[in-house]
Amino acid sequence: MKKIIATLAFVLCFAGAALAQDELSFERKQAIDSLALEKVRDLSKYIKIAGSKETPFSEANRVIDRAEELFMSDAEIGVSSLSSNQITYYRVRKYFEHLMRLNYDRVEIEWYNIEYVSDLQRQPDGTYVGVITIFQTFRGYNAEGNLEYKDTTKKDITVYVKRKETQIGGRTIGFWDVLLGDMRVKETSNR
Amino acid sequence: MPLLVGLLWMGHAFAQTVGSFQMDETELYAMTKQMGQFMRRFNYEEDQFGEKLNPKDPRYRNNEMRRQSLPILFDQQKYGTQTELQQYFIEDVTKGDSTFMTFLGGRWYSEVSASFKYKGKSVNVILFLAVEKEGLGSKWVLTNVYFSEFNKMFPTGELAEKEKYFLHPMSHELDFMNIYKAFKNAEVIEYYASKEYQPDYLTLFFYEIKQGNLVFQHVDGVKFHVLQIKDWYFEVSWFNRSGLNSGWLMSNVIYMPEKEKINLIKFYQP
Repeated sequence: MKKIIATLAFVLCFAGAALAQDELSFERKQAIDSLALEKVRDLSKYIKIAGSKETPFSEANRVIDRAEELFMSDAEIGVSSLSSNQITYYRVRKYFEHLMRLNYDRVEIEWYNIEYVSDLQRQPDGTYVGVITIFQTFRGYNAEGNLEYKDTTKKDITVYVKRKETQIGGRTIGFWDVLLGDMRVKETSNR
Repeated sequence: MPLLVGLLWMGHAFAQTVGSFQMDETELYAMTKQMGQFMRRFNYEEDQFGEKLNPKDPRYRNNEMRRQSLPILFDQQKYGTQTELQQYFIEDVTKGDSTFMTFLGGRWYSEVSASFKYKGKSVNVILFLAVEKEGLGSKWVLTNVYFSEFNKMFPTGELAEKEKYFLHPMSHELDFMNIYKAFKNAEVIEYYASKEYQPDYLTLFFYEIKQGNLVFQHVDGVKFHVLQIKDWYFEVSWFNRSGLNSGWLMSNVIYMPEKEKINLIKFYQP
Protein backbone atom coordinates (compact mmCIF):
# COMPACT_ATOMS: atom_id res chain seq x y z
CA MET A 1 0.00 0.00 0.00
CA LYS A 2 2.87 2.31 0.94
CA LYS A 3 4.33 1.69 -2.46
CA ILE A 4 1.09 2.55 -4.24
CA ILE A 5 0.83 5.83 -2.33
CA ALA A 6 4.46 6.64 -3.08
CA THR A 7 3.99 5.89 -6.78
CA LEU A 8 0.81 7.95 -6.93
CA ALA A 9 2.51 10.85 -5.19
CA PHE A 10 5.39 10.59 -7.67
CA VAL A 11 3.16 10.61 -10.71
CA LEU A 12 1.00 13.42 -9.38
CA CYS A 13 4.12 15.55 -9.08
CA PHE A 14 4.46 15.31 -12.83
CA ALA A 15 0.78 15.50 -13.63
CA GLY A 16 0.57 19.29 -13.51
CA ALA A 17 -2.04 20.83 -15.72
CA ALA A 18 -0.98 18.93 -18.79
CA LEU A 19 -4.05 16.78 -19.12
CA ALA A 20 -4.61 17.40 -22.80
CA GLN A 21 -0.97 17.76 -23.68
CA ASP A 22 0.01 16.08 -26.94
CA GLU A 23 3.74 16.55 -26.97
CA LEU A 24 5.61 15.44 -23.91
CA SER A 25 8.45 17.59 -22.69
CA PHE A 26 11.90 16.05 -22.20
CA GLU A 27 11.51 16.24 -18.42
CA ARG A 28 8.09 14.60 -18.48
CA LYS A 29 9.38 11.81 -20.71
CA GLN A 30 12.17 11.22 -18.22
CA ALA A 31 9.64 10.98 -15.40
CA ILE A 32 7.57 8.48 -17.38
CA ASP A 33 10.71 6.48 -18.23
CA SER A 34 11.40 6.22 -14.49
CA LEU A 35 7.91 4.96 -13.81
CA ALA A 36 8.18 2.36 -16.56
CA LEU A 37 11.60 1.26 -15.34
CA GLU A 38 10.20 0.77 -11.86
CA LYS A 39 7.65 -1.69 -13.27
CA VAL A 40 10.33 -3.54 -15.23
CA ARG A 41 12.55 -3.77 -12.14
CA ASP A 42 9.61 -5.24 -10.22
CA LEU A 43 9.16 -7.78 -13.00
CA SER A 44 12.86 -8.71 -12.87
CA LYS A 45 12.60 -9.20 -9.13
CA TYR A 46 9.52 -11.41 -9.49
CA ILE A 47 11.17 -13.57 -12.18
CA LYS A 48 14.14 -14.11 -9.91
CA ILE A 49 12.00 -15.04 -6.91
CA ALA A 50 9.63 -17.32 -8.83
CA GLY A 51 12.50 -19.02 -10.66
CA SER A 52 14.49 -19.75 -7.50
CA LYS A 53 14.23 -23.33 -6.22
CA GLU A 54 14.45 -21.99 -2.68
CA THR A 55 11.19 -20.05 -2.96
CA PRO A 56 8.26 -21.86 -1.28
CA PHE A 57 5.39 -22.69 -3.62
CA SER A 58 2.92 -20.38 -1.87
CA GLU A 59 5.35 -17.47 -2.02
CA ALA A 60 6.02 -18.10 -5.71
CA ASN A 61 2.29 -18.04 -6.41
CA ARG A 62 1.92 -14.76 -4.56
CA VAL A 63 4.74 -13.30 -6.63
CA ILE A 64 3.08 -14.50 -9.86
CA ASP A 65 -0.11 -12.69 -8.82
CA ARG A 66 1.92 -9.50 -8.35
CA ALA A 67 3.62 -10.03 -11.72
CA GLU A 68 0.29 -10.45 -13.49
CA GLU A 69 -0.82 -7.11 -12.08
CA LEU A 70 2.06 -5.40 -13.89
CA PHE A 71 0.76 -6.49 -17.29
CA MET A 72 -2.18 -5.72 -19.55
CA SER A 73 -4.66 -8.57 -19.35
CA ASP A 74 -3.95 -9.79 -22.91
CA ALA A 75 -0.15 -9.55 -22.74
CA GLU A 76 1.86 -12.43 -24.15
CA ILE A 77 5.44 -13.51 -23.72
CA GLY A 78 7.13 -14.77 -26.89
CA VAL A 79 10.19 -16.93 -26.32
CA SER A 80 12.71 -18.15 -28.91
CA SER A 81 16.11 -19.80 -28.74
CA LEU A 82 19.30 -19.58 -30.79
CA SER A 83 18.53 -22.95 -32.35
CA SER A 84 15.06 -22.02 -33.57
CA ASN A 85 13.30 -18.90 -34.80
CA GLN A 86 10.02 -20.36 -33.75
CA ILE A 87 8.40 -18.31 -31.01
CA THR A 88 6.60 -20.04 -28.17
CA TYR A 89 3.85 -17.85 -26.76
CA TYR A 90 2.94 -17.83 -23.07
CA ARG A 91 0.45 -15.90 -21.00
CA VAL A 92 2.17 -14.23 -18.02
CA ARG A 93 1.08 -16.86 -15.48
CA LYS A 94 2.01 -19.74 -17.77
CA TYR A 95 5.44 -18.21 -18.37
CA PHE A 96 6.12 -18.01 -14.65
CA GLU A 97 4.78 -21.52 -14.08
CA HIS A 98 7.07 -22.77 -16.85
CA LEU A 99 9.97 -21.03 -15.12
CA MET A 100 9.08 -22.68 -11.81
CA ARG A 101 8.92 -26.13 -13.39
CA LEU A 102 12.37 -26.07 -15.00
CA ASN A 103 14.10 -29.29 -14.15
CA TYR A 104 17.20 -28.09 -12.29
CA ASP A 105 18.18 -28.49 -8.67
CA ARG A 106 19.42 -24.95 -8.44
CA VAL A 107 19.11 -21.97 -10.73
CA GLU A 108 20.77 -18.58 -10.83
CA ILE A 109 18.95 -15.74 -12.55
CA GLU A 110 20.79 -12.44 -12.73
CA TRP A 111 20.19 -9.17 -14.55
CA TYR A 112 22.75 -7.01 -16.25
CA ASN A 113 22.77 -3.38 -15.16
CA ILE A 114 21.50 -2.37 -18.56
CA GLU A 115 18.07 -0.98 -19.08
CA TYR A 116 17.52 0.60 -22.44
CA VAL A 117 14.39 2.69 -22.76
CA SER A 118 13.06 3.57 -26.22
CA ASP A 119 11.38 6.83 -27.16
CA LEU A 120 7.65 6.83 -26.56
CA GLN A 121 5.47 6.79 -29.66
CA ARG A 122 1.73 7.36 -29.70
CA GLN A 123 -0.55 4.73 -31.16
CA PRO A 124 -3.76 5.77 -32.98
CA ASP A 125 -5.85 5.96 -29.78
CA GLY A 126 -3.32 8.32 -28.19
CA THR A 127 -1.77 5.81 -25.78
CA TYR A 128 1.99 6.09 -25.62
CA VAL A 129 3.98 2.93 -26.37
CA GLY A 130 7.62 2.25 -25.63
CA VAL A 131 9.95 -0.71 -25.32
CA ILE A 132 12.43 -1.36 -22.53
CA THR A 133 15.28 -3.77 -23.23
CA ILE A 134 16.97 -5.70 -20.45
CA PHE A 135 19.35 -8.66 -20.38
CA GLN A 136 19.24 -11.71 -18.13
CA THR A 137 21.60 -14.60 -17.51
CA PHE A 138 20.25 -17.98 -16.48
CA ARG A 139 22.23 -20.89 -15.05
CA GLY A 140 20.78 -24.27 -14.18
CA TYR A 141 22.69 -26.74 -11.98
CA ASN A 142 22.13 -30.44 -11.33
CA ALA A 143 22.07 -32.22 -7.93
CA GLU A 144 25.88 -32.54 -7.98
CA GLY A 145 26.18 -28.79 -8.38
CA ASN A 146 27.39 -29.01 -11.98
CA LEU A 147 26.32 -26.38 -14.45
CA GLU A 148 23.91 -28.06 -16.90
CA TYR A 149 22.63 -25.13 -18.87
CA LYS A 150 23.26 -21.44 -19.23
CA ASP A 151 22.12 -18.68 -21.50
CA THR A 152 21.78 -14.93 -21.86
CA THR A 153 18.46 -13.58 -23.05
CA LYS A 154 17.43 -10.17 -24.33
CA LYS A 155 14.03 -9.18 -23.08
CA ASP A 156 12.18 -6.47 -24.98
CA ILE A 157 9.21 -5.39 -22.93
CA THR A 158 6.35 -3.26 -24.28
CA VAL A 159 5.31 -0.41 -22.03
CA TYR A 160 1.94 1.34 -22.39
CA VAL A 161 1.59 4.77 -20.85
CA LYS A 162 -1.84 6.33 -20.63
CA ARG A 163 -3.05 9.57 -19.16
CA LYS A 164 -5.79 8.92 -16.62
CA GLU A 165 -7.78 10.89 -14.10
CA THR A 166 -8.78 10.22 -10.53
CA GLN A 167 -10.80 12.09 -7.91
CA ILE A 168 -8.95 13.01 -4.75
CA GLY A 169 -10.80 15.14 -2.20
CA GLY A 170 -13.26 16.30 -4.83
CA ARG A 171 -10.51 17.40 -7.17
CA THR A 172 -9.78 15.79 -10.53
CA ILE A 173 -6.15 14.85 -10.73
CA GLY A 174 -4.41 13.54 -13.81
CA PHE A 175 -1.77 10.86 -13.61
CA TRP A 176 0.21 8.56 -15.87
CA ASP A 177 -0.79 4.93 -15.76
CA VAL A 178 1.94 2.52 -16.82
CA LEU A 179 1.27 -1.10 -17.77
CA LEU A 180 3.49 -3.70 -19.36
CA GLY A 181 2.45 -5.39 -22.59
CA ASP A 182 3.90 -8.13 -24.76
CA MET A 183 7.42 -9.24 -23.93
CA ARG A 184 9.82 -10.75 -26.49
CA VAL A 185 12.42 -13.06 -24.96
CA LYS A 186 15.26 -13.87 -27.33
CA GLU A 187 18.26 -16.01 -26.51
CA THR A 188 21.42 -14.13 -27.52
CA SER A 189 24.09 -16.46 -26.16
CA ASN A 190 24.33 -19.90 -24.62
CA ARG A 191 28.01 -19.67 -23.82
CA MET B 1 40.29 -0.45 -34.35
CA PRO B 2 36.71 -1.80 -33.93
CA LEU B 3 37.44 -2.02 -30.21
CA LEU B 4 38.36 1.66 -30.05
CA VAL B 5 35.34 2.70 -32.05
CA GLY B 6 33.10 0.56 -29.86
CA LEU B 7 34.51 2.04 -26.71
CA LEU B 8 33.56 5.51 -27.89
CA TRP B 9 30.05 4.57 -26.85
CA MET B 10 31.05 3.62 -23.35
CA GLY B 11 34.06 5.56 -22.24
CA HIS B 12 35.16 2.59 -20.20
CA ALA B 13 34.36 -1.06 -19.75
CA PHE B 14 31.59 -2.10 -17.40
CA ALA B 15 31.78 -5.16 -15.22
CA GLN B 16 29.34 -6.36 -12.62
CA THR B 17 30.00 -9.01 -10.00
CA VAL B 18 26.89 -10.96 -9.18
CA GLY B 19 26.95 -13.92 -6.85
CA SER B 20 29.69 -16.25 -7.91
CA PHE B 21 30.34 -14.87 -11.33
CA GLN B 22 31.56 -11.81 -13.10
CA MET B 23 29.34 -10.37 -15.82
CA ASP B 24 30.93 -8.15 -18.42
CA GLU B 25 28.45 -5.64 -19.70
CA THR B 26 30.77 -3.84 -22.08
CA GLU B 27 29.47 -5.63 -25.15
CA LEU B 28 25.85 -5.07 -24.18
CA TYR B 29 26.45 -1.32 -23.79
CA ALA B 30 28.07 -1.21 -27.22
CA MET B 31 25.28 -3.24 -28.83
CA THR B 32 22.70 -1.19 -30.71
CA LYS B 33 19.83 -2.81 -28.87
CA GLN B 34 16.79 -1.37 -30.59
CA MET B 35 16.10 0.18 -34.00
CA GLY B 36 15.13 3.28 -32.04
CA GLN B 37 18.59 3.29 -30.51
CA PHE B 38 20.04 3.05 -34.01
CA MET B 39 18.16 6.24 -34.87
CA ARG B 40 19.22 7.97 -31.67
CA ARG B 41 22.84 7.02 -32.22
CA PHE B 42 22.60 7.99 -35.87
CA ASN B 43 21.36 11.44 -34.88
CA TYR B 44 23.43 11.65 -31.67
CA GLU B 45 20.40 12.07 -29.46
CA GLU B 46 21.92 9.97 -26.69
CA ASP B 47 25.36 10.02 -25.19
CA GLN B 48 27.87 7.19 -25.16
CA PHE B 49 26.26 5.76 -22.00
CA GLY B 50 22.84 5.50 -23.63
CA GLU B 51 21.47 8.49 -21.71
CA LYS B 52 18.93 10.50 -23.69
CA LEU B 53 20.17 14.02 -24.38
CA ASN B 54 17.98 17.00 -23.72
CA PRO B 55 17.37 18.80 -27.05
CA LYS B 56 18.75 21.91 -25.31
CA ASP B 57 22.06 20.12 -24.67
CA PRO B 58 24.77 21.43 -27.06
CA ARG B 59 25.79 17.82 -27.76
CA TYR B 60 22.26 16.97 -29.03
CA ARG B 61 22.48 16.18 -32.78
CA ASN B 62 26.00 17.60 -32.74
CA ASN B 63 27.64 16.80 -36.08
CA GLU B 64 31.13 16.64 -34.60
CA MET B 65 29.98 13.98 -32.14
CA ARG B 66 28.16 12.17 -34.96
CA ARG B 67 31.33 12.01 -37.03
CA GLN B 68 33.03 10.19 -34.18
CA SER B 69 30.20 7.84 -33.36
CA LEU B 70 28.71 6.89 -36.73
CA PRO B 71 31.37 4.24 -37.57
CA ILE B 72 29.98 1.97 -34.83
CA LEU B 73 26.68 1.81 -36.72
CA PHE B 74 28.29 0.10 -39.73
CA ASP B 75 28.68 -3.66 -39.90
CA GLN B 76 32.42 -3.45 -39.45
CA GLN B 77 32.99 -7.01 -40.64
CA LYS B 78 31.81 -5.81 -44.04
CA TYR B 79 32.77 -2.16 -44.03
CA GLY B 80 35.78 -2.03 -41.70
CA THR B 81 36.14 1.24 -39.87
CA GLN B 82 37.82 3.57 -42.31
CA THR B 83 36.63 2.61 -45.78
CA GLU B 84 36.16 5.27 -48.42
CA LEU B 85 32.42 4.65 -48.67
CA GLN B 86 32.03 4.92 -44.93
CA GLN B 87 34.02 8.16 -44.78
CA TYR B 88 32.07 9.62 -47.67
CA PHE B 89 28.77 8.66 -46.05
CA ILE B 90 29.70 10.14 -42.70
CA GLU B 91 31.04 13.31 -44.26
CA ASP B 92 27.86 13.69 -46.30
CA VAL B 93 25.33 13.09 -43.54
CA THR B 94 27.09 15.31 -41.04
CA LYS B 95 27.57 18.35 -43.21
CA GLY B 96 24.01 19.68 -43.17
CA ASP B 97 21.07 19.59 -40.83
CA SER B 98 18.63 17.72 -43.05
CA THR B 99 20.19 14.31 -42.58
CA PHE B 100 18.66 13.04 -39.39
CA MET B 101 16.45 10.00 -39.10
CA THR B 102 13.00 10.43 -37.64
CA PHE B 103 10.47 7.80 -36.69
CA LEU B 104 7.58 9.55 -38.41
CA GLY B 105 9.67 10.90 -41.29
CA GLY B 106 8.50 8.21 -43.75
CA ARG B 107 10.58 6.45 -46.39
CA TRP B 108 11.79 3.69 -44.12
CA TYR B 109 10.39 0.20 -44.34
CA SER B 110 10.49 -2.96 -42.36
CA GLU B 111 11.09 -6.24 -44.19
CA VAL B 112 9.73 -9.22 -42.31
CA SER B 113 10.73 -12.64 -43.55
CA ALA B 114 8.04 -15.07 -42.43
CA SER B 115 7.12 -18.72 -42.80
CA PHE B 116 3.64 -19.66 -43.96
CA LYS B 117 1.95 -22.86 -44.98
CA TYR B 118 0.72 -22.57 -48.57
CA LYS B 119 -1.70 -25.29 -49.48
CA GLY B 120 -0.05 -27.43 -46.83
CA LYS B 121 3.54 -26.73 -47.90
CA SER B 122 6.03 -24.60 -45.93
CA VAL B 123 6.92 -21.41 -47.84
CA ASN B 124 8.75 -18.15 -47.24
CA VAL B 125 6.90 -14.86 -47.67
CA ILE B 126 8.47 -11.42 -47.39
CA LEU B 127 6.23 -8.75 -45.89
CA PHE B 128 6.94 -5.04 -46.21
CA LEU B 129 5.59 -2.63 -43.64
CA ALA B 130 5.72 1.13 -43.13
CA VAL B 131 4.81 3.47 -40.30
CA GLU B 132 1.61 5.34 -41.10
CA LYS B 133 0.14 8.23 -39.14
CA GLU B 134 -3.36 7.62 -37.90
CA GLY B 135 -5.63 9.19 -35.31
CA LEU B 136 -3.58 10.56 -32.46
CA GLY B 137 -0.49 8.55 -33.34
CA SER B 138 0.81 6.03 -35.80
CA LYS B 139 0.93 2.33 -36.59
CA TRP B 140 2.80 -0.16 -38.78
CA VAL B 141 0.87 -1.11 -41.91
CA LEU B 142 1.44 -3.76 -44.58
CA THR B 143 2.50 -2.08 -47.82
CA ASN B 144 3.56 -4.97 -50.05
CA VAL B 145 4.41 -8.64 -50.10
CA TYR B 146 6.83 -10.82 -52.05
CA PHE B 147 5.85 -14.43 -52.56
CA SER B 148 7.50 -16.35 -55.40
CA GLU B 149 4.26 -18.17 -56.28
CA PHE B 150 2.60 -14.81 -57.02
CA ASN B 151 5.50 -13.69 -59.18
CA LYS B 152 5.36 -16.93 -61.14
CA MET B 153 1.72 -16.18 -61.80
CA PHE B 154 2.62 -12.87 -63.46
CA PRO B 155 5.88 -13.41 -65.35
CA THR B 156 7.33 -10.51 -67.28
CA GLY B 157 6.37 -11.53 -70.81
CA GLU B 158 8.20 -10.66 -74.02
CA LEU B 159 6.71 -7.62 -75.73
CA ALA B 160 6.36 -9.46 -79.06
CA GLU B 161 4.46 -12.23 -77.32
CA LYS B 162 2.23 -9.75 -75.48
CA GLU B 163 1.36 -7.99 -78.73
CA LYS B 164 -0.37 -11.12 -79.99
CA TYR B 165 -3.09 -10.86 -77.40
CA PHE B 166 -5.60 -8.04 -77.63
CA LEU B 167 -9.25 -7.25 -78.34
CA HIS B 168 -9.45 -5.24 -81.55
CA PRO B 169 -10.82 -1.70 -81.25
CA MET B 170 -14.18 -2.47 -82.85
CA SER B 171 -15.01 -5.36 -80.54
CA HIS B 172 -17.72 -3.27 -78.89
CA GLU B 173 -19.77 -3.29 -82.09
CA LEU B 174 -19.89 -7.07 -81.92
CA ASP B 175 -21.12 -7.14 -78.35
CA PHE B 176 -17.61 -8.36 -77.45
CA MET B 177 -18.38 -11.73 -78.95
CA ASN B 178 -14.59 -12.27 -79.21
CA ILE B 179 -13.90 -11.71 -75.54
CA TYR B 180 -13.98 -15.47 -74.89
CA LYS B 181 -10.46 -15.56 -76.38
CA ALA B 182 -9.15 -13.56 -73.42
CA PHE B 183 -10.33 -16.26 -71.04
CA LYS B 184 -9.22 -19.23 -73.09
CA ASN B 185 -5.64 -19.06 -71.89
CA ALA B 186 -5.49 -18.19 -68.19
CA GLU B 187 -1.70 -17.87 -68.22
CA VAL B 188 -1.82 -14.72 -70.31
CA ILE B 189 -5.08 -13.18 -69.13
CA GLU B 190 -3.20 -10.12 -67.84
CA TYR B 191 -2.07 -9.26 -71.39
CA TYR B 192 -5.64 -8.13 -72.00
CA ALA B 193 -5.31 -5.48 -69.29
CA SER B 194 -4.15 -1.89 -69.72
CA LYS B 195 -0.44 -1.22 -70.16
CA GLU B 196 -0.66 0.60 -66.83
CA TYR B 197 -1.79 -2.57 -65.11
CA GLN B 198 0.38 -3.84 -62.26
CA PRO B 199 -0.57 -6.92 -60.26
CA ASP B 200 -1.44 -6.03 -56.69
CA TYR B 201 0.36 -8.70 -54.70
CA LEU B 202 -0.95 -7.49 -51.38
CA THR B 203 -4.54 -8.06 -52.51
CA LEU B 204 -3.59 -11.52 -53.77
CA PHE B 205 -1.98 -12.20 -50.42
CA PHE B 206 -5.09 -11.12 -48.50
CA TYR B 207 -7.21 -13.23 -50.82
CA GLU B 208 -5.12 -16.34 -50.21
CA ILE B 209 -5.22 -15.73 -46.46
CA LYS B 210 -9.00 -15.29 -46.54
CA GLN B 211 -9.35 -18.45 -48.62
CA GLY B 212 -7.35 -20.32 -46.00
CA ASN B 213 -4.67 -21.26 -48.53
CA LEU B 214 -1.93 -19.27 -46.76
CA VAL B 215 -1.54 -19.84 -43.03
CA PHE B 216 0.95 -17.84 -40.94
CA GLN B 217 3.60 -19.88 -39.10
CA HIS B 218 6.28 -17.60 -37.67
CA VAL B 219 8.62 -14.67 -38.25
CA ASP B 220 12.11 -15.72 -39.34
CA GLY B 221 13.85 -12.37 -39.44
CA VAL B 222 13.46 -8.62 -39.62
CA LYS B 223 15.46 -5.90 -41.32
CA PHE B 224 14.90 -2.30 -42.31
CA HIS B 225 15.31 -0.36 -45.54
CA VAL B 226 16.03 3.31 -45.01
CA LEU B 227 15.60 5.80 -47.85
CA GLN B 228 14.99 8.81 -45.63
CA ILE B 229 18.53 10.17 -45.81
CA LYS B 230 19.12 12.42 -48.82
CA ASP B 231 20.96 10.59 -51.62
CA TRP B 232 21.53 7.43 -49.55
CA TYR B 233 19.90 4.07 -49.17
CA PHE B 234 20.89 1.65 -46.45
CA GLU B 235 19.71 -1.55 -44.84
CA VAL B 236 19.77 -2.08 -41.11
CA SER B 237 20.07 -5.73 -39.99
CA TRP B 238 20.37 -7.50 -36.66
CA PHE B 239 23.80 -8.92 -35.82
CA ASN B 240 23.81 -11.24 -32.85
CA ARG B 241 27.51 -11.70 -32.22
CA SER B 242 30.14 -11.06 -29.60
CA GLY B 243 32.38 -8.00 -29.67
CA LEU B 244 31.68 -4.32 -29.73
CA ASN B 245 29.92 -4.16 -33.07
CA SER B 246 26.59 -5.92 -32.70
CA GLY B 247 22.84 -5.38 -32.69
CA TRP B 248 21.14 -3.22 -35.33
CA LEU B 249 23.80 -2.14 -37.83
CA MET B 250 24.04 -0.81 -41.38
CA SER B 251 24.51 -3.90 -43.52
CA ASN B 252 24.24 -2.45 -46.98
CA VAL B 253 24.99 1.18 -47.80
CA ILE B 254 24.48 2.56 -51.30
CA TYR B 255 24.84 6.07 -52.67
CA MET B 256 21.50 6.66 -54.41
CA PRO B 257 20.41 10.04 -55.81
CA GLU B 258 16.82 10.88 -54.91
CA LYS B 259 15.36 10.27 -58.38
CA GLU B 260 16.79 6.73 -58.41
CA LYS B 261 14.91 5.94 -55.22
CA ILE B 262 11.50 6.23 -56.85
CA ASN B 263 11.36 2.69 -58.24
CA LEU B 264 12.72 1.17 -55.07
CA ILE B 265 10.12 2.98 -52.98
CA LYS B 266 7.43 1.75 -55.39
CA PHE B 267 8.56 -1.78 -54.69
CA TYR B 268 8.19 -1.36 -50.93
CA GLN B 269 5.03 0.70 -51.16
CA PRO B 270 3.36 0.44 -54.61
